[in-house]
Amino acid sequence: MTASSPWRGALPRLAGGLALILLPLVVSNQYHLHLASLIGAFWILVAGLNLVVGYTGQLSVGHVGLLAIGSYTFAILAGKHGWDPILTTVVAGLVCGLCGFLVGLPSLRLPEFYFAMSTLAFGLIVTELAVARTELTGGGVGLPAPFFPGPLGTPSGFYWLILAAAGLVTWLTWNVTRFMWGRSLVAIRDSPVAAASVGVPVFRAKLTVFVFSGVTAGVAGALFSSLQSYITPDTFHFELSLFFFVSIIIGGRGSILGPFVGTAVLTALPELVAPLAKLGTFFYGLLLLLVVLLVPEGVGRLVQRVIAALRPPVVEHHAIRPDLDRLRAALRAGARR
Amino acid sequence: MLIVLVTGLAIGSLYAMMGLVYNVMYSTSKVLSMTTGHLAMLGAVFGAWFMGGLGWPIWLGLPAAAAVGAAFGLLTDVVAIRRVITRSNEHLWLLSTLAVATMVQQAVGLWWGTEPRPFPRLVPQDPAGALDQKYWLPIVLVLLMAAGLGLFYRKTMFGKVFVAMSEDAFAARARGIATNRVRAMSYVISGALGAVAGFATGQLTYAFFAVGTLLTLNGFVALAVGGLGSNMGALVGGWALGIISMVASHYFGGEYQQTIAIGLLMLALLVRPQGIFGTRQVRAV
Repeated sequence: MTASSPWRGALPRLAGGLALILLPLVVSNQYHLHLASLIGAFWILVAGLNLVVGYTGQLSVGHVGLLAIGSYTFAILAGKHGWDPILTTVVAGLVCGLCGFLVGLPSLRLPEFYFAMSTLAFGLIVTELAVARTELTGGGVGLPAPFFPGPLGTPSGFYWLILAAAGLVTWLTWNVTRFMWGRSLVAIRDSPVAAASVGVPVFRAKLTVFVFSGVTAGVAGALFSSLQSYITPDTFHFELSLFFFVSIIIGGRGSILGPFVGTAVLTALPELVAPLAKLGTFFYGLLLLLVVLLVPEGVGRLVQRVIAALRPPVVEHHAIRPDLDRLRAALRAGARR
Repeated sequence: MLIVLVTGLAIGSLYAMMGLVYNVMYSTSKVLSMTTGHLAMLGAVFGAWFMGGLGWPIWLGLPAAAAVGAAFGLLTDVVAIRRVITRSNEHLWLLSTLAVATMVQQAVGLWWGTEPRPFPRLVPQDPAGALDQKYWLPIVLVLLMAAGLGLFYRKTMFGKVFVAMSEDAFAARARGIATNRVRAMSYVISGALGAVAGFATGQLTYAFFAVGTLLTLNGFVALAVGGLGSNMGALVGGWALGIISMVASHYFGGEYQQTIAIGLLMLALLVRPQGIFGTRQVRAV
């Protein structure tokens, strides 16, 4: 992903995008399509979180709280009060952006471990409130979430909606990371002091990215609840947060494709391989430990390195040819003066 | 009201003990381990298994539970700290200890079951309201633990080595201290202390696999309020947190405990970022 030419590697990307668009026409199994939609909804959240964790290096382990707020906003407004689902999705994004702002305002000032603990606490608090405020959230019993109207309510239509939203979010994050903003985020991750010393507004950049991740989490939550069609506080257990976090770390920090593959693989694997489903979160912990110990840069980086090792290095010849005419002209001009 | 205060004090003592465990590990490695609360969980679960399941007496069950905690502490150091801490300061230890904590929680959940199970009574005593053993055991234990750690740091050679490492690990190494071995030792000690803490409070928390994350969080809140690295701070912070959250949940309902805990943390950090008994950190340039 180089900044110099956005069109480099456009062909595989186009092919991948086309394959994703055509997926509902190929896949006949409804369950697999549901799984693909789930991956898409999770990816919308992870794409935003990736800017926070992968690029800015802020270890937020509480994003499940924002997902829960988005889901409940959707279920309450669209389900109980009958708002338009598409409008409600946008509203859920805005509400979660506001929540991200309120959470980030104090906690992003804190050092590393303190920040991780505050976000962990935030995730726990949201679940606690979801159980406590029975009149709003249905308590432990939960709430039904409505489907989208018309063609968007069908499984493939809903898949395309999620795909469109995921594509938009991916495009936004990709744009952020390619340009000056992304560079300043990486600088904050690698050394906040050095970043501040060259004029990066550290706190404001962190907060902006965190709010953006809140918006994506809200949209993801709205789509997620409609996909699940029924939500309870148990849906948003802390392990889900760990799952988002692990798929970014495993995929590789500072890349977009890596976390995407991580999300897809980690969502699909326990569903398709039965023994892993039983181990569940233990498996995420094991993966996280292995990646941290063996390839702290993430598996994506490992793949890059293997490819680089396999591909023979291209040696470019640079023949040095002096431009004699210009040299002569310059010398003449110098002599005249 | 008395029972609310006593419960708060007992729970606060557990938080304070978690703070002490954090401090023991922090002193030698500058790592705040996410496994801290899970040590107490292990103590409670294994204590319940040894004494309730296998029917062992307390003089066998308590050392055995402590040994499980110590073994897990050593494992944490070998797996999650030793290799990671030599790398750059990328806070990888946060991820590795989080991974180990998740794994132990899930492993215990798969083996022990996900329902909380009762913990056997430790001392022959009739149920006595506010004077019951489930309240005074943790309160007595945290005082013993804090006093013992204080004596250990001041009077023994090993304790002085700990203090030296917490001041400057590099200088300690230059003076011929085997820093790796001392760090492993501190993890063993913290593991045993954490397990004993969980063992003593088992009748309050029950033998429940998921209690670890909450204790990790609340122990940290207690420590952050009191001041990182200070045992006195852990005591005061833990008791304050326990009593405030119990009194508040008495008035507003038990659903808001975490909200209150984190509110207290934010308030304390706003007013005094280094904690009540903490020392101000030098700016990291």
